[in-house]
Amino acid sequence: MIQTIDIGAYCDFLFQFIQKFGKINREEFDALMPYFKMRYFEKRTIILQKGEVDDYLNVVVQGLVRKFIRVRGNEITLQLATEGHMVQSEVSFHTRMPSDVILETLEPTTLICMDYQGVQEALEKIPSAEELGRLIITYMFIRKDSRYYSQLKNTTRERFLEYMNVHPHMLQRVPQKILASYLNIKPETFSRLKHLLRPAKI
Amino acid sequence: MEMLDEFKKYLAKYVEISPVEFTMLEPFLQIRNFDKKVKLVDIAEEENYLNFIEKGLVRKFFYKGRDEIITQIAKEGDLISSSVSFLSGVPSSYVVETIEPTTFISLSKQSIEKLYAIHSKWQRAGRLIITDLLVQKEYWELDRMKFTTKERFVRFLTSNGDLFQRVPQKYLASYLNIQPETFSRLKHFLRKRFAENNL
Repeated sequence: MIQTIDIGAYCDFLFQFIQKFGKINREEFDALMPYFKMRYFEKRTIILQKGEVDDYLNVVVQGLVRKFIRVRGNEITLQLATEGHMVQSEVSFHTRMPSDVILETLEPTTLICMDYQGVQEALEKIPSAEELGRLIITYMFIRKDSRYYSQLKNTTRERFLEYMNVHPHMLQRVPQKILASYLNIKPETFSRLKHLLRPAKI
Repeated sequence: MEMLDEFKKYLAKYVEISPVEFTMLEPFLQIRNFDKKVKLVDIAEEENYLNFIEKGLVRKFFYKGRDEIITQIAKEGDLISSSVSFLSGVPSSYVVETIEPTTFISLSKQSIEKLYAIHSKWQRAGRLIITDLLVQKEYWELDRMKFTTKERFVRFLTSNGDLFQRVPQKYLASYLNIQPETFSRLKHFLRKRFAENNL
């Protein structure tokens, strides 16, 4: 991990990111700033290993983080977090228990993070942090529920098309095997479904 | 009010609440009674309540074609709601329906907004409860992946044995994502094993 990047350069990114959740004025934002830090990882770095307690809430500034679990010799991808997404082991971070899931970068990745202690302190000391925290956690909950719903409700073909239409660039950024796992589609089926995308590209 | 004791205990897991504060909270709580097999929320309706189950049994499901896919079975002491609709205002993708006659202690959206405005303690309770829901959801997903069908069955039986008597088998099978035939087979297999070990 190299930590040479100045967080000041990402002030605007962070301010806009937080505005998505709740109204916060510049003064409150300045009070929050000291709790954030930057982390930088090379491509294919494990940033959270199974069995470690996840100490960070991460926002991807640039790059791509994969969250996955190893089950009976297979890797099942649970999340592909790109620019502007939050990623962490929610269970481990909040319960302070060892993580079942693994976080790995697929590209060189820059993260803005707040550690567990920082989150608790910010909640104590900054009046508007409580509401902001609630709105962020609500957002994470809704995203998670929506993903489970679509995984259970939609057919393989629907899941493929829905995802590829919204995230066409991911085919270039993520190995096909990992994308297939994320969408819970067999690799052979995934290859076959790719023909559905061709007409749109011309 | 005695009926609210369990709800009081539930809240105390998240925030400290003085008797005075709880008295302030009471006017916002609604006691709601439903017969069995009544839908509290249907597909495309907007969820207006967060419900704590004082007594009874409730399930949450969506339709996949003609199949009902159950994502939650809630009993005394649990929260149930079409939560995404409740939290975001979008129409519900789920049905919330009672299995037994059920008494809820419910908070409407308006009540919760008022509470949030009154004191940051309620904001904090809200945040911690939603955090818990998020963590539960992740556990639910990971358990489905980590454990085999048989393991899921045994884990559920061990932690929720009472529900085996109360919940129709086809509901449990759907909730655990186990084919109904497999579910029957596992039940007989385990019954036999228990009988052999105990005798």
